[in-house]
Order: sequence, then structure tokens, then C-alpha cells
Amino acid sequence: MLTARRRVVAAAVVLTGSLLVASCGDSDSGSSDGKTLRLWHYEGPTSAMGIAWKEAIKEFETKHPGVKVEFEEKSFDQIQKTAPMVLNSSDAPDLMEYNKGNATAGLLSKQGLLTDLTEEATKRGWDKKLSPSVRTTSLYDTNGVMGSGKWYGVPNYAEYTLVYYNKDLFKKYGVAEPKTFAELTAAMDTFVAKGVTPLANGGAAYPAQQYLYQLALSKADRSWVDAYQLYKGKTDFHDAAWTYGAETFADWVKKGYFSKSSSGQNEEAAGVSFTSGKAPILFSGSWWYGRFKTDNKFDWGTFRWPDSKLTLGSGGNLWVVPKGSKNKDLAYDFIDITMSKKIQNLLGNSGGVPVAADASAITDPQSKTLIDDFNTLSKNDGLAFYPDWPVPGFYDVLVSGTQKLITGSEKPDDYLSDLQEAYDKGAPKQ
Amino acid sequence: MTVTVERNARAVGKSNAQKPPRGPRDSYALFLLPGALAFLAVIVLPFVMNTYVSFTDWQGVGSPEWSGLANYRELMDDSEFWASFRHSLFMVVAMAAIPTALGLVLAAALFDYVGKHFGSRTAAVLRACFYLPQVLPIAVAGIVWSWILAPDDGSLNALLKAIGLGSWQQDWLGDPDLALYSVMGVMIWVQLGFPLVIFMAGLQRVDPQLYEAAELDGAGWWRRFWHITLPQIRPEIYVVLTWCSIAALKVFGAVYVLTKGGPGGATDVPSYFSFTTFFEKTQVGYGAAISTVLTVLILALSLIGLRLQERTDP
Repeated sequence: MLTARRRVVAAAVVLTGSLLVASCGDSDSGSSDGKTLRLWHYEGPTSAMGIAWKEAIKEFETKHPGVKVEFEEKSFDQIQKTAPMVLNSSDAPDLMEYNKGNATAGLLSKQGLLTDLTEEATKRGWDKKLSPSVRTTSLYDTNGVMGSGKWYGVPNYAEYTLVYYNKDLFKKYGVAEPKTFAELTAAMDTFVAKGVTPLANGGAAYPAQQYLYQLALSKADRSWVDAYQLYKGKTDFHDAAWTYGAETFADWVKKGYFSKSSSGQNEEAAGVSFTSGKAPILFSGSWWYGRFKTDNKFDWGTFRWPDSKLTLGSGGNLWVVPKGSKNKDLAYDFIDITMSKKIQNLLGNSGGVPVAADASAITDPQSKTLIDDFNTLSKNDGLAFYPDWPVPGFYDVLVSGTQKLITGSEKPDDYLSDLQEAYDKGAPKQ
Repeated sequence: MTVTVERNARAVGKSNAQKPPRGPRDSYALFLLPGALAFLAVIVLPFVMNTYVSFTDWQGVGSPEWSGLANYRELMDDSEFWASFRHSLFMVVAMAAIPTALGLVLAAALFDYVGKHFGSRTAAVLRACFYLPQVLPIAVAGIVWSWILAPDDGSLNALLKAIGLGSWQQDWLGDPDLALYSVMGVMIWVQLGFPLVIFMAGLQRVDPQLYEAAELDGAGWWRRFWHITLPQIRPEIYVVLTWCSIAALKVFGAVYVLTKGGPGGATDVPSYFSFTTFFEKTQVGYGAAISTVLTVLILALSLIGLRLQERTDP
């Protein structure tokens, strides 16, 4: 029989044991009965993708009687911050959406946390449906560098950046839609002269760095992008394109194209200053399109960044199948459904950019322009990805640096030196 | 119940006859065991693991590679880390020094003046008002303050404009010269209630006769505050200073919500720096080194605080 003292010790040992087990996170909540597909994604329910994936879940359950889709809505940040830990445990879902690029999906594939989808991609014809530039983010080599190697993810939509403009404000101030870069700067000069800050911007998030990267891209070519993003060559941040980007950006701050106060604003504030009719121009991604369709209370239009063959863009986020997925076949079936014409057309008509839609099935004229522009861009090999992709943590380096350019606390040359240092530290050694 | 007590008493009596009596320390030690083991599992073990990781080069997945002191050597030369550390010292001023000083004066004023002239209920209501920011989750307070301090349509700038001080309008969180002070201002607001409540509780136990005697001797409010209030509640002051300095060194939520360490790193603090190194840059080994250094510093500060407190204990 246990004495009181021993009972206390025993209880303490049991308690400690359970705490230790709990802290190791080895609880098993997955099921491998072939009756459940555990799915995580982070698209908002009213976004084009959210609408499309919801329909895909319905379709999947109809086609797989007796199988239930257990969908968990996560935030982008949640998945981004915890993916390596979750995928390393038995809590991994069967299928999840994940950010594309070397520092994200590439890192996970290198560590062996993702399933090689090469066989399925060929068997199910996903490789034929995706254009080469969209496919770049699906493939990762043994070092986790995108563009070649095995399939580790499937993007079912695409995205690119374009200029959104407020037609009512352009009319009010007598400015015509710019067709060339010179016309764009002339238009901005007119707005500044009339006391209007022309560009919506967010220095505390991605918008500012995307302006700067676009300026650099307008002086760059594919080999420049390949060197920067795929490490096929040396990246010199003091070259003509980067120098032009940084100096022009700093110059635009001085000229008043961006407001100085945009340094502390995030992407939401940038979007709101456009939708509220304050800023006449916003250069940002196609991901805003659906929202602007519902939120903008004025006449608006879009055009591609003038006089530039390249722009920011890529295949959308990826469906990845975790190595520990217990229902891989169901996961492949679900990906297949999201690639079907029916779901792709729905995505296109909801304001997204589909990758395998039926051109004639897109009925909304605004969506048609958006998709046609993307197809032209994709055909001309014009997708240059995003500036923060090449090395982990580069997003923060870019945010911090462009904030300093906006506030004038750093010169373009020093800014570029900072980028060089962070890039060289993070990029794989040549 | 009675039977159990008697049986236990008999058992104790029996064992007393055979062995020397056990002191209360021995029997109470048993009750400390579960807590000690839980402390081992959730504090000591993770800390040891974190320290181990800080000696490795690791991206968070795969196997960590032993790199010895490399992370610490890098940390010594990392200007961003030292800048974040300097900001931490500013946070100690905002979250410990100023709230303690202000809290003291306010507590004495509420206790001594408001309480006496307007009644203890009024003093209690005012105390609760000052304490309110402590109850609010920092994320909520941070979001509200980011609205107040927004550059274009923020209410602070709108207020300045409305009262004819338009030229004082600023980009409070976006200007690198101002952002840290703005965050400090918010933190003073958040923190003030805590010292105030502790000091008011401390003042309750000061013998009123001391004040009465001083008053009879003609001591004014300031002299009474300086010679009676301050020395009498010295233990509370040490507790508050230690507690708030630790909170300042590990401040994270406010920086995350208000500025994300920006603009251009102007408000970065070690805990946020460690967080981005861990999760954004996936340099887990380096991030672990930062948090180990931070933990050691906080531990050292706590020990100093405890020693100071012991000295003041009667």
C-alpha cells in the first residue's frame, strides 16, 4: 500500500509525465481510415479562391460518398509560422495550402516534409495544364530552390501586379489613362500639382517594396530575374536595374508621389486609401480585384505597368501534401477537382486568376480583362515573382529598408548595400 | 473525520516513539514536489533545450548542426541586436521608471488628498480608471492606439488640428525619430495602473499616527511624502521596479501590434527580434541564442531585485 508521501510523489510523477508528453506535442489526432480528408487553407470565405474551394469541397464529397472533408480555416500567419513544427508532428493535415518560394515550400521540401507529387502531376495531367512560368513554383530541387527538380506543390490560380486607377479622379483632374511610363509620371506630376498624393502606399508591409521591385524590373530581363530568384548567376544590388529602382523610388518620395506618412502604414491602409477615393492610383496584386469589385464606389480600371516586359507575379499559393498525410489519394483527388474546368471557371468569374479555365466561360467583362492580361503576361514569360522570395527573412529586410527610404533616413546606395549583405548571407553559397 | 484524525495522531505518536520528530519543513517539502516537477517540465527543460539549440545552426526542421559559440559571436557583432537592446532600455524607462515615479505621486495624491477630501469611493473609482489599461488585452489596446496615432485620419492628429495646433501633427508611428517615443507613451499609459494599485495597497498599512505626528510638527505634504511615504513603502517600490523592468525587457505585444519593429528597425526590441529571427528568417539557432541572452539578463535582474527587496524587509 502506498503511504501518503509516496502517493504525493506518484501523483507528481504522473503529472510531470503528462506535462512532458503534452509539451512534446505527440498527440495523434489524424485518422487514416480513408473516410476523412483533413484540409487546411487560409483563403477568406468571400475571396475568389475561398468561393472556389468551398465548391470544390462540395464536389469532392459528392464524388466520394461516405468521405467527409474536415476543413479548418487557418490564417496565413498561422500556417507560415507553425508549418515546420506541425508537419514534423502527426498533427499534419492530409492537404494544406502553403506559401510558395525557396524560403517556404522550398525549405519544407528540402527537409523532406512534403510528398513528391511528380508522378501524380504527370498521371493526372497537371503538368500540361500549368504554363511554364506558373509551374516554376511547383518544382524544387534538392536544395529547395524552385524552378527545377520534383513537384512538391500545385498552384490552382495565379496572381500578378497591375495598376489600379480611379477613373473618376482622373476625370476630375483632367488626367488621361497613361499608356507609357512618361505619361504615368506626367499624370502623377499633375496630381501633385493639384495637392493630391497620387500613389497609395504601405511602407510597413509589401506595397512599398513591390513598387521598388517593379521599377527595377522595368530595367531588367529574364536572366536578371533568374540570377536573383533562382541563383543562376551573381546578384549585384548596385547594378543598373537595382540602382535605378532605389534611386527612382527615393526620388518619387521627394517629388511627393508617395506620402512620407506611408512609412508606417500597412497594405490594408494602402488598399483603403484607394477604395476610399483618397489616392487615385494603387499598384498592387490581382488579389485585390475581388474586393475592389465590391468596395469601390467609383468608376475604376486597371492597366499593366507601362514600358515593362516584366512584372511581379507567379502561380498562386500551393496545395502541398504533407509527408505524414494519411489519406494521400484523397488529397490528390481534391487537387484534381480544384484543377477541373468547373472550379477554375468559378474562380475566374469570382474575381480570381485561374490557371486552367475555359476562356469562353468567363462571362464577367472586368474579370475577362484581368485574365486576358495575365495570359498575355504569362505567354511572354513576364512573371518575375516577388522581391522577398530569394532568402528567408528578406521580407523584413525589405520592409525595414524601404521604410528608411520613405522617411529619408537612408540613402539609396546604403539601402542597396544592406540588401546585398542580407541576400549574400541567406542565399545558398554558389 | 474524527476517526481519521485520531488514527493519524496515533500514527504520528507511534513514529515519534521510534524516530526523532520531523520538522514542518520535511512534511511541507512533499507538497512542493508537484510544483517543482512541473517547473522542471515547463520551465527548466525548455530552457535547457533552448540553450542547447542556441549552440547549433538549425532552421527549425531537420537535424541541428553543432556550431559551438558561433551564434553568440555573431550576436556580439550584430548591430541590430544591440540597437534592439538599446530600445529595451528606453522601454525600461517607459514601463518601469516613469510609471513607478508617476504611480507613487498619484497613489499618494489619491490616498492622501482625494481620499480625504472627496471620500474613499472617489479614490477607488479613480484608481480603477488608472488600472483599466492593465485589464485590456495588449492587442486590443495596441490596435486602438494605432488608430489614435494614425498619420492621416488618426484622432490625435485630428484633435491637434481642431484646437489650432495643426503644425504639431506628426506621423507618430511612421517617423523613425518619433516612433520609439510614441510606443513608450502608449506603454506608460498601459503600465501606470499597476504601480498605482500596489502603492495604494502599501499605503494602507502605513501607520496613520506617523502622518498625524508629522502634521502636528508642521510637515507639509511633500515632506510627509518624502520622509514617511517613500521609506514606508520601499518594499513595494522594489517589487514594482523589478516586476516592471522584467516586463519591459520582454515586451513584445505592443511592438508587434503597433510598429512591427519599424520603421526601419526604430522600435525593434530583443523579444521581437528573436521572434522574427525564429519564424521569419527561420534561423532557429540564432533566435535561441537571443532568447537565452535575454533570459539570463532577466534572471540576473530578478535576482538583484530580490536581493534589494530582502535588504529592505524588516
